[in-house]
Amino acid sequence: MPIFDQGYQHWDGRLSGHAFRWLAITRQGVNTMARLKAVRWVIILAWGPALLLTVFLSIWGLIEQKSELLTPFLNILQALPEEIRDGPKAYRKTIWTIAYYNFYALEIYFALLITAIVGPNLISQDLRFNAIPLYFSKPLRRIDYFIGKLGVVATFIGAVTILPAVLAYVMGVSFSLEWSVITDTWPILVGAIGHGLIVCISSGTLILAISSLSKNSRYVAALWVGFWLVSGAASGILLQTVREPWCELIAYQRNIDNVRNAMLDTQGAREKIVALVESSEKKMREAMNSAGPFGGFGPFGGRRRPMPPPRPRRFDVDPGDDPSIVANRRIPFTPDREKAPWIWSAGVLFGLFGASAWVLTTRVKSLDRLR
Amino acid sequence: MLFDLNDVTKTYGAVTALRSLSVTMPEGAIGLLGPNGAGKTTMIRTLLGLIRIDAGEGHVLGKDIRKRRLDIRQLVGFVPEDECLFPGVDGVGFVSYAGELAGMPPIDAMQRAHEVLDYVGLGEARYRKVDSYSTGMKQRLKIASAIVHDPKLLILDEPTNGMDPEGREEILELSRDLSRNKGMSLLFSSHLLPDVESVCEHIMVLARGRLVTQGRIEELKLRTRGLFEVRVKGEQAAFAEFLRPRVMHVSPVEDHLLVELPEGAGASELWAWARDAGEQIRRLRPHETTLEEVFFTALAEKETN
Repeated sequence: MPIFDQGYQHWDGRLSGHAFRWLAITRQGVNTMARLKAVRWVIILAWGPALLLTVFLSIWGLIEQKSELLTPFLNILQALPEEIRDGPKAYRKTIWTIAYYNFYALEIYFALLITAIVGPNLISQDLRFNAIPLYFSKPLRRIDYFIGKLGVVATFIGAVTILPAVLAYVMGVSFSLEWSVITDTWPILVGAIGHGLIVCISSGTLILAISSLSKNSRYVAALWVGFWLVSGAASGILLQTVREPWCELIAYQRNIDNVRNAMLDTQGAREKIVALVESSEKKMREAMNSAGPFGGFGPFGGRRRPMPPPRPRRFDVDPGDDPSIVANRRIPFTPDREKAPWIWSAGVLFGLFGASAWVLTTRVKSLDRLR
Repeated sequence: MLFDLNDVTKTYGAVTALRSLSVTMPEGAIGLLGPNGAGKTTMIRTLLGLIRIDAGEGHVLGKDIRKRRLDIRQLVGFVPEDECLFPGVDGVGFVSYAGELAGMPPIDAMQRAHEVLDYVGLGEARYRKVDSYSTGMKQRLKIASAIVHDPKLLILDEPTNGMDPEGREEILELSRDLSRNKGMSLLFSSHLLPDVESVCEHIMVLARGRLVTQGRIEELKLRTRGLFEVRVKGEQAAFAEFLRPRVMHVSPVEDHLLVELPEGAGASELWAWARDAGEQIRRLRPHETTLEEVFFTALAEKETN
């Protein structure tokens, strides 16, 4: 028997508006999932590439400043093309773009993994334990429920994509000590955040839709991983056999990659780097071939052979090729032309989003039904 | 007025769940009765603003059921029949979450969760995982999560189903206290008529989506006040035949006759008729009507009509 039992008291505090009711679902979900060891480990591991990106951008900042801190590494830096050594700032945006592209290429696997851990339980558990009436008997709409659940997945995907990307950007800018870095690279930050958001929304709605298909979260996780692997494998096989650009669209990850390429303008950066490397090789070859009697000897005193001409690229036309064979090649002559346009991939992602929304509204029914 | 429904119709394909249902209920504890498929669940969902009605109109606590659905759910607490508790959460976390879903700030929700858990008698178990709770504890937890935001109306759907007598009595006591001492109106849906009778002042009976009867329980029982149980020394059947032209209804029940007297008649008339028939009355007492009889009589009348 309690000494003082105040019994039931009325409550007349302030309520939050309807616009942010979903936040309670997100908060609860994030708190619950953050307690899982697996989630914490994936986040810690996912910050490894972010750390590398930060270190890389910081070193690049020091290279731009020609900092004395890099003196011990001068030998290594000599390996860089001359154009970069002479004017690194001209390649700032290119280098940052390539760095961010590679960072996301790694992080996407962590996004897949964390989605596979966090996502499966979100709706399947509510279906398994009949918890849907608990939500819908409160002043919540179905859209609040979906957004709240999406917020949980998006928070964790964002924690392994957007958040490290932004922090790496801040660190990179800090080490550059120049305002012009921001004016040069802000599109990369916007692209990285935009791409992260696309991954959050696309993967988030997809895993929610899959989660609503079964009451068993293990099946959901298996379906999610299977979706990635099977779509990737099917696309790979078709690319080897059919060799049409649309074959890429079958793989979810390739669509994400295509959109990332467009958002970060990776193609432009790659072309610039390729041109730089080719010009650097050409200069080196010319220097070697025109070397005098002493410069023409190899390290062991033997006569060094002149450097061969550059090998033709995989799909370039060699002068000696039979024109009829060239005309019958189904693969475009440059690797870039065989890629599906990014807008196709964006369309596929949008279609998947629509399909996910339809599955969600079908599976998580309102209570406006007979049973 | 707690709620009113006016000519409300709701169909699901070929099934008509509510047929031109019109009912007005005052504040207080209301029992919702009806056989399976009577439309009780649909009516509860209508009151919660969870379904779109095909025709008619209605108000719950003054809010339009068509236009102010979220406002209605803000003022109403709902205890569903299903378990609907997810594992891995402790009691206080579960109730606090329910408060947050209702729009309470997290700190207020947590404080309030502690208060209501104390009130429903789960203070000692508040930090235990809900999956370790007994059936009675789970039921009390559901009530706590339904009242955490201090609703004006609490809807309980079969709250005592599957409970042992002790747990059942605790839920009934809790419901009575909320209704009689805390000023909270109740809509108590149950198949267990004694439970409804022990908690509610009013009932409404649904059958096939229509209202069969409604009113204060005491008044509904009064409607059968002209019923008497009579046992005579001689032949029951012969006395029944003697009474048949004089009374509204007479039927043998076990060792006595159940006699429904005409308007204005009382026990003295029965004594007089026994004297005229040359019978000795061995037992004469007013028939005590139960809610069960009110319920079945109402259903039978509806069937006849």
